[in-house]
Amino acid sequence: MVKDKPAVMDATSHKIWDLVTIGAGPAALSAALYTTREDITTLLFEKGVIGGLAAITDWIDNYPGFPKGVAGLELSDNLRLQAERFGAVIELGEVMSITDKGTHKLLATTSGDIKARAVLIATGSDYKKLGIPGEAEYFARGVHYCATCDGAFYRGKKLVVVGGGNSAVQEAIFLTRYATHIDLLVRGDSMRASEVLQHELNDYKDKISVHFNTTTDEIVAKDNVVTHVVSTNSKTGKQKNIITDGVFIFIGLRPNTGFLKDTKIALDEIGLIKSDSKLETNMPGVFVAGDVRSGATMQIASATGEGDTAALMIREFLHDLK
Amino acid sequence: MAKDITIYTTNTCAYCVMVKKWLGAKGHSYSEVNLDDHPERQKEAFEMSGQLAVPVTVITKDDDSKEIVVGYNLAKLAPAVA
Repeated sequence: MVKDKPAVMDATSHKIWDLVTIGAGPAALSAALYTTREDITTLLFEKGVIGGLAAITDWIDNYPGFPKGVAGLELSDNLRLQAERFGAVIELGEVMSITDKGTHKLLATTSGDIKARAVLIATGSDYKKLGIPGEAEYFARGVHYCATCDGAFYRGKKLVVVGGGNSAVQEAIFLTRYATHIDLLVRGDSMRASEVLQHELNDYKDKISVHFNTTTDEIVAKDNVVTHVVSTNSKTGKQKNIITDGVFIFIGLRPNTGFLKDTKIALDEIGLIKSDSKLETNMPGVFVAGDVRSGATMQIASATGEGDTAALMIREFLHDLK
Repeated sequence: MAKDITIYTTNTCAYCVMVKKWLGAKGHSYSEVNLDDHPERQKEAFEMSGQLAVPVTVITKDDDSKEIVVGYNLAKLAPAVA
């Protein structure tokens, strides 16, 4: 018989938590579902959005079990509800550091010091910045990284979307519900987006113009209002101004591992966390799952799978501690 | 102390959900202006925040002064509603 456990605890409910996850995206929520069902006390720390990037994704068509697709926000909320149903506790706050104390890990957090027997790092990744003039200056005033949040401000306006991967194509399509026209600027000579999305993009030919071999060099504003993007065709070297009211940037992901800079947890050359076949890092008892793991395939389905695998490895680790 | 809290949101904004969840967890009541339902109030949100982004949380204090927090920013939101 399945018994629901109400989540009535907070971060200070235990002297030592069996497991603290850093992040509450799909990997951590799935891990928490498994650990709480094994009576492993589990606390999840989330400094951003519960559900991570999945929650701010308009629509997800490639997560198994949803034949018609599912809204990112709905999937995230369901993952949260399922984990909380068995007793997972989510704390809205930030973990600043991890210290190995031998018998436990000490986490410095915005809710005070927290002790954990095992830690799962599942901090995921965030959208990369272009690093061009105008990008930081006009952030949230014409430059955006979240279409589902800020797209509504562009009803009846023209937009530029930068990127050629799944996120760029999917969010450009989402933005057509508001914008009259979108220029999609792709640095390479082809799309990196999935075939399905590229086919879908073809249905929006009248609203989305794709510009290949096009770098985005500068975002220009007049009187603090974005007016155009300066772009260059990398084949011809020809520069062109693209008139726009706003710019949405989706050029890939960067791992959220900044808080590990003072630890000895090993990262690869791009900042992703290295792990062994048990998803354990080089700090014993600290595991990693999802987009932040070196070698991850950066899919929601693989993140939940990795979360479940990590949970089983953590169960073994905790068993061996006894 | 906050006398009144109003949040400007949209239907698809996950950060808006987080602001509402956090305020609820801290025992604060709030009213919501959904800009998908009321696009005519978009200008009002922009004029208050100076930004084309949601969530915009407007905290009216006991002395009727207003503090505005854009985004899901607990470092700003927590002291603003305290």
